[in-house]
Amino acid sequence: MMVLRQAAAMAGKDLKLEIRSRLGFGAVLPFAATLLLSFGLSLGPGRSLLAETAPGLLWLAVLFASVLSFRQSYQTESEDGAMEGLLLSAFDRAAIFLGKAVAVAVELLALEVVVLFLVGVMFGLSLAKAPAVLAGAFLLGTLGLSAIGSLFGALTESPRAREAIFPLLVLPLATPVLVAGVKATELAAAGRAGEAGSWLGLLVAFDVTFLSVGSLVFGQLLED
Amino acid sequence: MFGLTPALIRADLRVERGETILVRGPNGAGKSTLLRVIATAISPTFGSGSVLGFDMSRGRDEIRRRVELLGHRTRLYEDLSGRENLRFACVLHGLDTEGIARAVERVGLEDAADDRVRTYSQGMRQRVAVARALLRAPELLLLDEPYAGLDAEAKDVVDQAVVEAQQNGRTVVVATHDLARGGMATRTIRMEGGRVLSEVQVAALAREASR
Repeated sequence: MMVLRQAAAMAGKDLKLEIRSRLGFGAVLPFAATLLLSFGLSLGPGRSLLAETAPGLLWLAVLFASVLSFRQSYQTESEDGAMEGLLLSAFDRAAIFLGKAVAVAVELLALEVVVLFLVGVMFGLSLAKAPAVLAGAFLLGTLGLSAIGSLFGALTESPRAREAIFPLLVLPLATPVLVAGVKATELAAAGRAGEAGSWLGLLVAFDVTFLSVGSLVFGQLLED
Repeated sequence: MFGLTPALIRADLRVERGETILVRGPNGAGKSTLLRVIATAISPTFGSGSVLGFDMSRGRDEIRRRVELLGHRTRLYEDLSGRENLRFACVLHGLDTEGIARAVERVGLEDAADDRVRTYSQGMRQRVAVARALLRAPELLLLDEPYAGLDAEAKDVVDQAVVEAQQNGRTVVVATHDLARGGMATRTIRMEGGRVLSEVQVAALAREASR
């Protein structure tokens, strides 16, 4: 269980840095709010259209927010060569991967609470019909996005590469999470919780796959 | 290799345990690259070597457990305090945190240890890095331009780490331009154009310079 203890230490350090600097949340929350507000205004006042498009917009905001959060997370590691410190330590590579994934997942979940509230108010999305499905979809989807971000963030230590390559690697791979998340959110909002099982199952499979693969190959990515 | 330019060419070097080696050479000579290769931060494109008896490609983890590289970059987190950085270093290297207070005291950072690193001068950052090296007590200490940008007091803190490593029979390799700081070395090597010069080549260069 050494890996889990080390991962907790890594996540604790990342969260402490985020709480103190507020660089991630400070940039991500206004971005997500602006995105939702602009779409809300461009779609017009029709309540049914707004409610229908809300799950997709919600997940798009979460996806872009995850890209920004991971860029910030890895930038902190490259500022003063801290990533080299991680590389030259005996720290388990899987712990670095898991710790960074968990820290960003916690940040994103905090963001999602605020964004869900905004969408509920602005778009009239019903959040109370199947809250367990909604919570499950966001928890599992966020974990999946975090696993991809944590894995590929290691590839992009240089700031220029991070800007250019990171979204190209992450966005296509995140498509299954996006689709399953949107579908599960739609069903939860419609009160059809019983039909959301297969989409939640897809998210579980995605999370297990990427968390396992990430834990195994992260060390190799870091070395190269 | 940096692009198509080799950073090190036939950099043959043998260091005995307990030696303190001073590496000298002009900018771009390959001093930093040599130290980073020894620390396994980068892998050589060709060639092989062993550090503390471990092969550099197969025994990287063993080498990393025993080697500390103190370089241009101090590898600190700006929004953690000096003490918190040291605590995290203890977690990274599996060390007891009990020694932190003593290490902080030895580098003279007691008053600022709980301030964020963001507020530190370069000298204070280097002191935290030295405290980390003292905590680790590595078998091989690699110092890459450790005196750059430091005042006399901070330079003495670095020297103190070197002397302590020597007293404990550790091996130290220092790459520096600071000519005033060579006194503690048991041997000096010179690098140029990515090569470690032989004693004959160094003597020839010295003769040339004296003409």
